[in-house]
Amino acid sequence: MASVSNLRKRKSSAPGQAPKDEQLLPVSALEMLSEDEHDEEPESDDGNYEEFPEIDAASDTEEEEDDDDDDDDDDDEGEEGEEEADYSSDASGSEKKLSIFPKAKVVISDITGEPKKVYPEIEPDYDSDSSTEDAPNRIGNIPMHWYDDMPHIGYDVDGKKLLRPAVGDELDKFLKTQEDPTTWMSVLDNNTQAEKQLSPEELDLIRRLYQNENPDAGYDPYEPMVEWFTGKGKEEIMPLSAAPEPKRRWIPSKWEKQKVMKIVRAIRQGRIVPSKPKTSSTEPRFYAVWSDPIPSLHPPPLPAPKPRPPTHAESYNPPEEYLPTEEERKEWEATDKEDRERDYLPQKHSALRLVPAYDQFIQQRFSRQLDLYLAPRIQRTRLRIDPNSLIPKLPSPSSLKPFPTYKSLDFSHGASRVCCISASPDGAWVLSASESGVISLWEAIIGREVKKWNASGKVGSISWCQNPESYYFIVGLEDRLEFFIPPNLPSSLHTFTKNLLAPATLPPQPATPSPLKWISSSDPEKPVLVVANLSGLTKQIAWHARGDYFATVSSDGGVWIHQVTKRHSQSPFKKIKGTVQIVLFHPKKPNFFVATQTYVRLYNLSEQKLIKTLMPGIKWISSMSVHPSGDHIIVGGYDRKLCWFDLELSNKPYKILRYHTRAIRSLHFHPTYPLFASSSDDGTIQIFHARIYHDLMTDPLIVPLKILRGHIVKDGLGVLQVEWISRQPWLLSAGADGKIDLWCS
Amino acid sequence: MARLKQKGKAGAAKAYVTRSAAVKKLQISLADFRRLCILKGIFPREPRHRKKANKGSSAPTSFYYAKDIAYLAHEPVLRKLREHKAFAKKLSRAIGRGEWSTAKSLDEHKPTYRLDHIIKERYPTFIDAVRDIDDALCMIFLFANLPATSRVSAALIDNCTRLAAEWQLYNIHSHSLRKVFLSIKGVYYQAEVMGQNVTWLVPYQFTQNIPADVDVRVMLTFLELYQTLLGFIFFKLYTDAGLVYPPPLDTKKDGTAAGVGAFSLQQTSEQHAPGAKKPSELKVSAKDVRQTIKAISSEALDDDSTDNRAEEDEATAAEDFIPQPSKSNPGEAAVLSTFQSLSAQEGSTIAKLFAPYTFWLSRETPRPIFEFVVRSCGGRIGWPASSGSGSPFDESDESITHVIIDRPLVERPNETQEERQRRLQRKYIQPQWAIDCINAGKILLEEKYAQGKPLPPHLSPFGDYEGAYDPAAVIPDDGVEMAERESDEEEEDAEVGEDDAGPRPPLLAADVTEDPDALRAAELAAEAAGVDYGAFEQEVRKTKKAKGKVGLVPVETEEEMNKMLMSNKKRKLYERMKYGQQKKDAERTKLEQRRKELDEEKRQRKKERIIHSQS
Repeated sequence: MASVSNLRKRKSSAPGQAPKDEQLLPVSALEMLSEDEHDEEPESDDGNYEEFPEIDAASDTEEEEDDDDDDDDDDDEGEEGEEEADYSSDASGSEKKLSIFPKAKVVISDITGEPKKVYPEIEPDYDSDSSTEDAPNRIGNIPMHWYDDMPHIGYDVDGKKLLRPAVGDELDKFLKTQEDPTTWMSVLDNNTQAEKQLSPEELDLIRRLYQNENPDAGYDPYEPMVEWFTGKGKEEIMPLSAAPEPKRRWIPSKWEKQKVMKIVRAIRQGRIVPSKPKTSSTEPRFYAVWSDPIPSLHPPPLPAPKPRPPTHAESYNPPEEYLPTEEERKEWEATDKEDRERDYLPQKHSALRLVPAYDQFIQQRFSRQLDLYLAPRIQRTRLRIDPNSLIPKLPSPSSLKPFPTYKSLDFSHGASRVCCISASPDGAWVLSASESGVISLWEAIIGREVKKWNASGKVGSISWCQNPESYYFIVGLEDRLEFFIPPNLPSSLHTFTKNLLAPATLPPQPATPSPLKWISSSDPEKPVLVVANLSGLTKQIAWHARGDYFATVSSDGGVWIHQVTKRHSQSPFKKIKGTVQIVLFHPKKPNFFVATQTYVRLYNLSEQKLIKTLMPGIKWISSMSVHPSGDHIIVGGYDRKLCWFDLELSNKPYKILRYHTRAIRSLHFHPTYPLFASSSDDGTIQIFHARIYHDLMTDPLIVPLKILRGHIVKDGLGVLQVEWISRQPWLLSAGADGKIDLWCS
Repeated sequence: MARLKQKGKAGAAKAYVTRSAAVKKLQISLADFRRLCILKGIFPREPRHRKKANKGSSAPTSFYYAKDIAYLAHEPVLRKLREHKAFAKKLSRAIGRGEWSTAKSLDEHKPTYRLDHIIKERYPTFIDAVRDIDDALCMIFLFANLPATSRVSAALIDNCTRLAAEWQLYNIHSHSLRKVFLSIKGVYYQAEVMGQNVTWLVPYQFTQNIPADVDVRVMLTFLELYQTLLGFIFFKLYTDAGLVYPPPLDTKKDGTAAGVGAFSLQQTSEQHAPGAKKPSELKVSAKDVRQTIKAISSEALDDDSTDNRAEEDEATAAEDFIPQPSKSNPGEAAVLSTFQSLSAQEGSTIAKLFAPYTFWLSRETPRPIFEFVVRSCGGRIGWPASSGSGSPFDESDESITHVIIDRPLVERPNETQEERQRRLQRKYIQPQWAIDCINAGKILLEEKYAQGKPLPPHLSPFGDYEGAYDPAAVIPDDGVEMAERESDEEEEDAEVGEDDAGPRPPLLAADVTEDPDALRAAELAAEAAGVDYGAFEQEVRKTKKAKGKVGLVPVETEEEMNKMLMSNKKRKLYERMKYGQQKKDAERTKLEQRRKELDEEKRQRKKERIIHSQS
């Protein structure tokens, strides 16, 4: 209301002043005002129009909102009423002169006797509508700048050019504005490109449009209401329908009464409290919840894990050693928030007053809460055990002596690799063959070379005869086996062996002659006996315990079993699945182990059938050795695994060990001592104690005893073969570095 | 033949539900589900086989126990949440239509929920509740220090402030504070309440603002639960201690920043006189509690079900015949009090630590921390008016023995005789002294903490993991070691020449240092050869060192070889354990190393200073 009264005040004081609406007109006109005042008509009527938009911005909403402060409202309305009266009286003033619309006359109607507006008749002739007027320029509504470069501005109805009217330069324009007081009232007519004077009516129209008023000056939005059907003397007397008034109009409703009574009853009984204090429901009331000693049906939920208590490093004044160095600080800053081991950097402040606010406080509280309700919790039983108790308790190696512990001598083959070695059954002699084809015979105890042979080709394997009565060795070559008798034998032994290998009377030929030929010779420089026509390099020679039979495996996977006394060879298998890696005779039974790439098969030779297939789970078997009892075998593979099989137990390994860092090359059980050794490409030899109990309930005892190092890894190859010297706990090892080491206890 | 088992009908597939399935089943929005989970304390679980629990899919989801969700489905709060959803719709419609009176009355009957039954479910016994208030206290103290914003209402902040003050008052009253630690994050306190260690963290008094990456809704939901929980716990603590809960607040004092002092503790006996029925009210029986909870849960169900009411009455009447153990409340209280007295005796050294002293707080020290700490330990404390009103005495009081001051030392040329006299009578100590005294459980010497002196390091009373580096342990005087090191260096130089010159004495073969037997043998041999023991020892040490330096030949001990025979499972476990141990060891050695370096540096500096002063 304040604004309205202000306006009113201004209105009362304003009549002589310059009109307000001038401000809205072009700026160029402003300075003319003082001169123009008297000439100009349009402003004489202002003052009233300003009130109109102000009237009731607030009153509408107020009326809707409030029911209770009626008295205030009444005041408002009273004032507004006065105002309206003012307005209407003013509006009837001189304003109507300026309308460009046809002016209405107010006449008294003949029929009703009320005043009414009568507009002048419109003559519907050719000129009555300005839209049909001829514009001189007939180019239509096109952008006029298309004619900017032309001397003319368009064409008239006859197609003649309309020339551009002369336009003065800027100076002329300026002078015109200075001289001609009516310049501000003209606009550029787009069609004719000429200035056009605006009439006062048009100016007034523009002003009204500027001020968002009704463009028609004669329009009165607050005309007094004409009561056509209401008011005194105009009441409807006759009803619209002849139906009698229904009973419900004057009888109180039964159902309403019932509903009300229901509420009344509820109030009486106290179920509905009419003016319940609202605060009591929101304010928490506390009481002794835990006075009930009976536990609830559910077990109490696990309490959330507590955060770790703060450590010394978190102190505001920690010991100096906790402060991070520059690198640590940088590293901490570079790591992601989630990956940091600590969520803060230790800092040192010399006084408590210098400690700043901790900027991550709220974030850390929040992340704790996220942990509480979003993180899955797992209950883990913390192992309160000493990690060392996990290591199996085994007897001390010192109590399991003897076993080889140190290198007593080495025998060198030069630079070429030693591919195979063999110790004589009595342990006095050692045979070794290098890849260059040199075979050396040397004494085991002192390492003195006694004799040297040069093989004609590559040596695949070498082996002493295991029969203690005879004394010879076999060399496996490219396509044949050569038998040699070592020198300096006692004569009886020499003749016995000689008779065995090159008897005077050959044994009778078997019914099915083998394709291999057994040829004897008496030349001392040449091998005593040669088994020829083998295919491929003989990789391995395996002796039967009695020393009459031996089996060979050639590099193409062919397996032969040879009998020396009968000078006979036979191939036990017609066809073998997979390539054979190693074969071994069972030490006590007529059984035969065949290791292919992934399986170990056990055959009975006398019945000629498969007994068992062992599955070590090794990708490529490299070596195998049978325990002297014949019930246990160990299998080693290029994938570093060593599998111990108990043949009575299962076809799966009893134990799998993986301790070498490279492929296992060779395994050997000691014939008499409870020892076995393994060698590997990592250049080490491992000695194990392996005790087997006759009691079937006790598991075999495997104890690692010693790791022997001494061979140098060359071209990725380490120790190629290990072999025990029988009757002594001594070990021979052949390395890729061309050395043979003897390890003694 | 037995029936074939169908997939997904038993086991993990049945026991777990994914979060989206849970939300679908409960028919609520995810936000409401979260709120419910927070209030009920339900958290995701990790199934042993994720694929089996999720119908063969390995998509990353969180799983809940199906039973947990089924348990949520009967939750009264869930129904209230649904009602609130309907209410919000009605309210927005009324506002949209401009029906103000409808909106007003709707708002008056806004559905609200109570959390009493949840508290009782989650914490069946009082001890359970006390054990789990660490997080609640941290949050309350944090919010007590926050400014009120549009997201965090002033009423909430006020309530948090009130709860924080009540907790502090209780601790002051019961003298249960045990440990205090000034960290860079804030102040950690540990109190022993009902035999439980309660640890909480209070931020330093600075204005904090909730950062944008923190979801306030989650925090407020937690706070809602925590406020209720703490209210009940404080009620029990106060009533057990014979105090009135809530303690009356003096608004006038509160207006002048009296802090904790604005509340006054009242004994319940004082209240006996005005209201005769009070004690009976305090003795709430089991039945009452059950009824209240039931009433809360059934509140929404029925307004006019008189029948139900009758039934309930019958039920309670039937229950009355059962002898209830809760009726023996006084006996229980007696037991409690004896227990309390026992615990009080235990911690009495700390509880009465500051009893003979009177403290004065200097203007720059934070009053809330030290007022709480000193009063909990039985001391008297005063502060200047600039730190808030309510100080029991002023600076000129003669009884003041200590002044806690955190200012550098300054010269005071124009000091009156009286002031000087007073200054000499009092001990001026830095704030850390009070905290360290509590943690040590005794009064420490004030000299080290005197005003303006560099402070000794402040250590955590909570300690570290077992076997961690202990900065308090006295490092063995390494002056001897130092000399040794120097002489060793000289020896080494000599050694090089020796090696070139000739072979080693034969007694010390390569293996001697490892094998004790061999060492013994060598020792005997040396004795026989006439080498004196000291020289022999040195020789041994040298070879040991040489071995360590060479390091080319790794020496396998028996144990290491026995590791070969470990099963895969055990080996992995072993390696994991060893990894952790090694990490800890590395940290410890690093700290020890650094300490040694620092000491060395210090000694060097001291030496230089002495030389300087001499010259």
